[in-house]
Amino acid sequence: MERREVSFRIYRYNPQVDRTPFYDNFRIAVEKGITILRALNHIKEHLEPRLTFRAFCQAGICGSCAVRINGVSKLACTTQVWDELGGDGEHTILIEPLNNLEVVRDLVVDINPIMDKLKENYSWVKPAIPQEKMGRKEHIVSDGEFEAINAASDCILCGSCYSECSMMEVNRSYISPPVLVKAFRMNNDSRDTLACERLERVSSDHGLWDCAHCHKCMEHCTKNIPIMDGIHRLREEAFERGMTDSEGARHAQAFFDDIRDVGRLREVTLPLRTKGMIGSLGMVPLAVKMGLKGRTPPLWVRPIPDIDRVSEIYSRLEASREDAAEASNPSHGRTPLSPPYPVGGK
Amino acid sequence: MEHKFDIVIVGAGGGGLFAALEAVRTNPRVSVAVISKVYPTRSHTSAAQGGVNAALGNKDRDDTVDLHVFDTVKGSDYLADQDAVEYLCGQAPSVVRELENLGAPFSRFADGTIAQRPFGGTVKDRCCYCADKTGHTLLHTLFEQCLRRGVTFFNEYFLLSLEHADGDCQGVVTLNMATSAIEAFVAPVVILATGGHAKMYWNRSSNAAGNTGDGQAAALRAGIPLKDMEFIQFHPTGLRKSGLLVTEGARGEGGYLLNRHGERFMVRYAPQKMELGPRDLVARSMETEIIEGNGFESDAGSYIELDLRHLGAEAIKKKLPQIRELSMHFEGVDPIAEPIPVRPTAHYSMGGIDAHMAKTAVRGVFAVGECACVSVHGANRLGGNSLLDILVFGKRAGQEAAEEAPRRKALGIPPGAVAGMADEIRSYANPERYERYGILREEMGKAMGDNVGIYRVEGRLRKGVEEILALRERFRRIRLFDTGTVYNTNLIQILELKNMLDLASCVALTALARQESRGSHFREDFPRRDDQAWHLHSLCTMERDGDIRLGHKPVTMGKYSLETRSY
Repeated sequence: MERREVSFRIYRYNPQVDRTPFYDNFRIAVEKGITILRALNHIKEHLEPRLTFRAFCQAGICGSCAVRINGVSKLACTTQVWDELGGDGEHTILIEPLNNLEVVRDLVVDINPIMDKLKENYSWVKPAIPQEKMGRKEHIVSDGEFEAINAASDCILCGSCYSECSMMEVNRSYISPPVLVKAFRMNNDSRDTLACERLERVSSDHGLWDCAHCHKCMEHCTKNIPIMDGIHRLREEAFERGMTDSEGARHAQAFFDDIRDVGRLREVTLPLRTKGMIGSLGMVPLAVKMGLKGRTPPLWVRPIPDIDRVSEIYSRLEASREDAAEASNPSHGRTPLSPPYPVGGK
Repeated sequence: MEHKFDIVIVGAGGGGLFAALEAVRTNPRVSVAVISKVYPTRSHTSAAQGGVNAALGNKDRDDTVDLHVFDTVKGSDYLADQDAVEYLCGQAPSVVRELENLGAPFSRFADGTIAQRPFGGTVKDRCCYCADKTGHTLLHTLFEQCLRRGVTFFNEYFLLSLEHADGDCQGVVTLNMATSAIEAFVAPVVILATGGHAKMYWNRSSNAAGNTGDGQAAALRAGIPLKDMEFIQFHPTGLRKSGLLVTEGARGEGGYLLNRHGERFMVRYAPQKMELGPRDLVARSMETEIIEGNGFESDAGSYIELDLRHLGAEAIKKKLPQIRELSMHFEGVDPIAEPIPVRPTAHYSMGGIDAHMAKTAVRGVFAVGECACVSVHGANRLGGNSLLDILVFGKRAGQEAAEEAPRRKALGIPPGAVAGMADEIRSYANPERYERYGILREEMGKAMGDNVGIYRVEGRLRKGVEEILALRERFRRIRLFDTGTVYNTNLIQILELKNMLDLASCVALTALARQESRGSHFREDFPRRDDQAWHLHSLCTMERDGDIRLGHKPVTMGKYSLETRSY
């Protein structure tokens, strides 16, 4: 069996004794086929009993052991040490706690914010069947209806997407990707009766419309859930339900309209259309500063030369949307969360 | 710090969550707290893959509750209490439909009804499933409904003791893991739903690291007997290197077990049911093949192959996606292209807290799920019956608790109970102590695996008992090296080891005492079932000095009388 000396550089912080976090190095011989979690267990049992991390099922289904490995959020139990080694011969693996959550100790973070947000955003099915009639009959659910929520119901709440999310990094009040996945999963469940209230809740401030489309949640999902597709689908649903009276929805609509009409953004009026007259006043100092630096968007935006071709794209999108609404075919690899609708207005 | 609730539920897996949900639905005025050492969705229910049995008749129209009862009683090798089995199977269709009504995403047949597949040891196809993540989806559904109903959770609280005054429940003493504070929960009704104890086999177990039987150990120390502890189920298909589980659904979908001659050897052991014989029989057959030199050899030990290739890529991707992922992660094998190396792994504890229809000997204390022995599984549990067990008895306990709690008086927890636990924990850090957790735990896993495994014989069992008792003695000198109070996982490891050692001595002692072979308990020196002498439940109680005393209890019979068990 192939063996190598590997250094684990591990984030340490015990608020009781450490003024600031520091990194500890542990050098151990590791066999090929060993997971990061087994290496951590080895270090705890043989070198440092105080090393603190969470782990439970060891099989990638409970979500306890998510940490950042070489800067990327992953499950320690399903990540092979060998896959994390650089090609330079100097084998060091960096292990840190998840981002965007308070560190309790070492690699353990406080995940209560995730739990609280799930609760605030109605992350449950509210069944149509009254309590006294529960258990008498099953719903008839087509395979298509099941497939629509199948991938999203894989979420194990490990927090990896929460840790990777760019928006979380600047705003801890942001709703966060796992809560949006749950909202998508519930809103697309044919047995649920709370879709409207839930969507209203998730699209309020710091909600659905704050996502910056960086796709990192989806890229690093430990269960390969196409999270961004779910977020897009929720936004479309907001338009379909006429929930267009929010900054986010107006912003999306303004983009959609500008591109359709002139092929590019009309930046000068964008804040006005997104935030309204009063809301835009707050932007004035920024506009002045930009003006002083010579960064003034043109007041009058002429349509781009090929605007006809843009119009053609729009009409094609419209047509493909209607087709997709009729038939949704799950393709191979990742199960799509919904038909491939374009994002945009009505 | 002291908390007061009408009902305290320890454990937030399927059993505990359904109990909580049912309690608040039955009586919204009772206050309910759920205490768990892990966040609810991380409970081991999430690892149940295959499915949940219910005679819905969606697949086999002629399936009945009665046939389900018969399969379960026969599967138990006639050790199950038939009143409990009848209740279990009778409630099955409605609890499964209820979970469906609450949003559990079951896989479906073309007509839109809940899909059912064949599972081991049954005459009809009645296992309802959601791909191979059934437990995960049921657990999340129950958690979501508990959030909806505003159930109060105390996450990352560790159970230290169960308190009662002369048989009347007082509550529980716990350790708040974030702060290491000892906190009492005063409650006239306590439901124990802490999961199984098969992790005492450690590396030879499919269980989560925390399946250490904390509720069983607390009950044992509180004077409640444990029942049928010798019966540990070895699941036939654990991954060779890690012991992680490959669902029975893989064989339910048509997978083959092959020895190194490429033979489907089950033809010699269960010619009718083949790979879908009951778990005890399939696990023993695989072990026999390996012992007789028909297994495959590797650095990571001998193994048998589970071949799914003939099912085709599409069926594997759609119905067994998680198995494919696990095989690739932990064995580097894609089951679409290669067979999966497997061997039996300790998986489930049929034994547990002695309970009749979820009620224990202490008034106000219920026990449900794997920590309990109701007993619906007897000497061998059928696949698909454990999720059912937690749903049916979790719900029942929740309902009865909600009815009972208002009638019961809240008795305080004596300060001595909290102080005693604090002293014990402080003593672990005594610098004169020197035994190390990692070493004792390794030796425990080895002692159980080598001596109290699938094949048992008096000599090895005696050795197992001696080794476990010696480890219990050495545990008195175990040293806590981490003396901090913030999230001290070293302390939790030690408390869990203490629980496992107490329970391991019960398992080894009862296995030595039972001189017959029944279900999962196979004695090379007593290879036959002996109904005359041993058609009895075993009981373990703890004496004041910590010694285990053995006793017995009759089996409740019903419609089905003793018969030879063949498949």
